[in-house]
Amino acid sequence: MKKFSLLFIILITSSIGLLAGGYQVRLQGARQSGMGLTGTSLISGASDIFYNPGSLSFLSKKFEFTAGTNAIFSKIEFRSLESDYVAKTNNPVSLPFFFYGAGKITDKITAGLGIYTPYGSKTDWPDDWSGRFLIQNIALSSIYFQPSISFQILDNLSIGAGLAYVMGSVDLQRALPYNDRSFVKLNGNASAFGFNIGVLFKPAESMHIGIDYRSKIEVKLDDGDANFRIPASLVSIITIENKFSSSLPLPANLDCGLSWQITQKLLFSFEINWVLWNCYDSLTFTFIENGDMLNSINPRLYSNSIIPRFGLEYRIQPKLKIRTGAYYDNSPANDEYFTPETVTLNTLGFTFGLSYHPIENLNFDFSFVQLMGIEGEKKYSPGNFAGKYRSSASIPGIGISYSF
Amino acid sequence: MKIQALYSIFFFSVLMGACEPKTEEFAPSRGEADFYHYVALGNSLTSGYADGALYKSAQAMSYPAILSEQLKKVGGGNFTQPVVDNEDGLFAGKLFLDYSLDCNGEFSLSPVISSGNPIGYPLAIRPVGYSVDNFGVPGAKVAHLIFPGYGNPQRLQQNPPTANPYFVRFASDTGTSVLADAMKQNPTFFTLWIGNNDVLGYATSGGENNTADESITLEGNFHFAYETLINTLTSNGAKGALANIPDITSIPFFNTVPTMGLYLDENSASSLNQAYHQVEIFIQSLGYPDFGYGFQFKTGYNAFIIEDRNFPYQVPKALRVRQAKPDELILFTIPQDSLKCGGMGSYNIEKQRPYGIPQQFVLDEEEIAQIQNAVKRYNAIINELAIQKNLALVDVANLLQQAKSGITYDGLNFDIKYISGGIFSLDGIHLTPQGAAIVANYFIEAINKQYKASIPKTEITQYPGIKYPETIPLKK
Repeated sequence: MKKFSLLFIILITSSIGLLAGGYQVRLQGARQSGMGLTGTSLISGASDIFYNPGSLSFLSKKFEFTAGTNAIFSKIEFRSLESDYVAKTNNPVSLPFFFYGAGKITDKITAGLGIYTPYGSKTDWPDDWSGRFLIQNIALSSIYFQPSISFQILDNLSIGAGLAYVMGSVDLQRALPYNDRSFVKLNGNASAFGFNIGVLFKPAESMHIGIDYRSKIEVKLDDGDANFRIPASLVSIITIENKFSSSLPLPANLDCGLSWQITQKLLFSFEINWVLWNCYDSLTFTFIENGDMLNSINPRLYSNSIIPRFGLEYRIQPKLKIRTGAYYDNSPANDEYFTPETVTLNTLGFTFGLSYHPIENLNFDFSFVQLMGIEGEKKYSPGNFAGKYRSSASIPGIGISYSF
Repeated sequence: MKIQALYSIFFFSVLMGACEPKTEEFAPSRGEADFYHYVALGNSLTSGYADGALYKSAQAMSYPAILSEQLKKVGGGNFTQPVVDNEDGLFAGKLFLDYSLDCNGEFSLSPVISSGNPIGYPLAIRPVGYSVDNFGVPGAKVAHLIFPGYGNPQRLQQNPPTANPYFVRFASDTGTSVLADAMKQNPTFFTLWIGNNDVLGYATSGGENNTADESITLEGNFHFAYETLINTLTSNGAKGALANIPDITSIPFFNTVPTMGLYLDENSASSLNQAYHQVEIFIQSLGYPDFGYGFQFKTGYNAFIIEDRNFPYQVPKALRVRQAKPDELILFTIPQDSLKCGGMGSYNIEKQRPYGIPQQFVLDEEEIAQIQNAVKRYNAIINELAIQKNLALVDVANLLQQAKSGITYDGLNFDIKYISGGIFSLDGIHLTPQGAAIVANYFIEAINKQYKASIPKTEITQYPGIKYPETIPLKK
C-alpha cells in the first residue's frame, strides 16, 4: 500500500511554450523598416533577398553589400483580473541583425546571400510573478542563411528564389511548485530548411507589384536539455537532467505588395501579409525520462493573420530621404489559449526612417519603429491564468549599404 | 545632418518614454459595507492552524489575515492576531515532510512529527496582553463561542476541561466569551466560519466516542448558538460573511488511506483465505453451523478487514470482523506500522486470529451518513440566517466539491488529495497558505457580490504550498 504517491504531483510542463508567436521580427532591411515594414514591391537592393528575391535582379549596381541591426526595447504589463496585482517584464534588449550581399552574374541574373533573423524574442517576467508556473523567461532566436538567385525574364518582370537554412535555439525557464526556488530550464538547438520565392512585375515605370512566398519551416528540436532545479527530496522521483524533444512551426508568409511613385519625390507602398499561423495548433513536449508524467500537449490554436501595411518615402534632396509608415498586426493567438510566454496582442505599428547618401556608393539608413499592443483581456484556460495585457516596443535601427 | 540626427534622437526618446505600456487600473471599492474594523470568528481554520499545530508562519497566512490585507485596500484597518512566536507551534505535534524508514525498511517521504521546541505549558497559555481581531479558536464548536468562561485557565484543570487553552491566551478576562470579546472590538464587519467541529470531533474519533464532547451537535443546539452569534454580531449594524461547512468526509484526513488498500500476492491471498476458513470452522463449532464470512481474497488489492460492530453472532470480539465497503473511510491517524507490518486490516499471524481495523479508525456507511446529514442541516441553518440578515454566504461546501475534481489557478493545479493536492496541509484537515488564499478569495467573491464591493483578490501564487525538504537524511 502506498500511503501517497508523489508522482502525480509532478504534472509540470503542461504548457511550456517555445514560439514567439506574433513576434515575427520583420526588421530585415533598414529602408523597409522606415516604410511600415513594407518591401515586397519595393526595389531596395540586396535586402530584397528577404523581402522579395524576385526584385534582386533590378539591382542598380554590379555589387551591393548591406548590413544592419535593430535594438528592440520591449515591455509588457500584465494585470490580474479582479485584483490589483501588476507585473511588468524586464526584457533584455534584443538585437536582430541582417547582412546581405548580392552581385550581378549577368545583366539578367543576380545572385546573393542573406543572413538574417526573422523570428526571435526575449521575454523576462519577474522570477516570482504570478504567472511563473507558465513562464519565467524565454529567449527564442533564429538565424537564416539564404543563398538566392534572381532572373529578369522580361524588361518588366523578374523572378527569384532562395533556399533558407535555419538555425534556431530556445531557452526557457518555468517555476515548479515544490518550493520558491524550484524551476525547470529547457534549452535546445535545431536546424531546418525552407525556401523563399518571389516575383516582381512593373506594369508601368512608376508602379511595381510584388508577390513573395516564404515557406513554413518546421523546426524539430530533438535532444534538448531539460534541467530541473528541485528539492533534494524529490530527486529520486524526478530525473534532474533530462532530454526532451519538441517541434515548432515558423509559419509560411504570403506577401502581396504594390508601390507607386506618385511624384518624382514621393513613393507610396502598400502591402498585405498573410501569415499562416494556423499551423501552430499545439506545442508538444516529449521527454526521455519520466515521460508518463512530463509529456504534454499544449493547445495554442493560432489562426492566420492578415497584416495591412503602408509606407511613404519622400526625397527632400538628392542625398536625403525621409520615410514613414504604419501597419496593423492582428494577433494570431487564441483568446482562450493566450500564454504569457508569447504576448502577441493586436498591435499598431508606426514607423519612421531617414536615409542619407553622402557619396554615390554609400548609404546610411536610420529607422524607428514604435509598436503599441492594444490592451486585451486574455486567458490561458488550461492554467486558468487570466489577465489584461498591454505591450509596447520601441525599435531604433540602423543600416549601411555599399554598392559599386 | 547633425542637427537632423539630434532631432531624430530627441524625437525617438520622447516616443519611447511615452509608450510605457499601462493597463487599466483596478478600482477598489467598499460598496455598501464598512471594513474599518474587521473581526474574524471561527475555529482552527480561522486561527491559521496548519500541519497539526498553530505556528507563526502559518498563522501569519491565515485566511482572515490574508483577507484583512485585501480589506485594507477598501478602508480596512489593522488586523491583530494572537501571535504565536514559534515555528514549532504552541503545543507539540507539528508535522513536516521528511524521509523516514517504515517497518518494511522502506525509506520514503512522509509526514513526521517535528522534534523542535514548541512553546508548551505553561508559557503557551500566558495571556498575550493585547486585544485581537482574529477570534479563531482551534477546537471550538459553535456553542463554545458564546460560552462564558471558555478562556478561564482554571477550567482547563477540570475533567473534561471546560475552557480552551487557545482562548485562554487572548481572553480579556476569565468570565468572558469569544463573542463578548469580539463585540468589545466594535466590529463594523465580521466573518464567521464555525460548525466544522460540531461534526469533526465525532468523525475524527471514527464515530466511536459518543461522549458529550465528541458527539454530533444536535440541530436545535446548533441553531440556537448560531443565531445568538449572528444576532449579537449584527446588533450594532455590522455586516459580515458566513461560511458554510464543507463535506468533511471528503477531506484528506478521511481519504488518504484507501479502503481497498490490502495488497496481496498469490501466496498471501491463498493463505489468508485458508486462515479465515479456519476461523469460520471455529465459529461454526460455537453453535453457528451455517456461518461464513464470505471473504474471497484475491491477488492484488482487496478491501481491508475492519471490526464489525453489528456482527450478528455472539463470538469473541476479535472475530467480529467484515470487509470494508468501498465507500467507507479509513482515518489518517491509523497506526501505519500496524497496518503495514502488524496484520491490522487482514490477519494477526502471531496471535492466529482476525485483526480488523478498530472502529475508531473507520467511518462506516452509517457514520458517514450521520455526518453528512448533520452538515446539510447545519448548512441549511447558516444559509437561512445569511438570507435573513442580508449577510454574504461563502459557499465553502461548493468550493470543496469543485476541488474534488481539481481546480487550477495561475497554472497551479489543486485538488483534495493529501500533499499533492496543495490545499490541505500535512494534517489532512487544515489549509496550506495557498489553500487559505483560495478560501480568502472565495470570501472576497461572496462579499463583493453581497455588498456590491470591489475588494481586490489576492494572488494565490504569492503564498507557499507544501514544502518539500531540501535535503535527504542518511538512512539510519
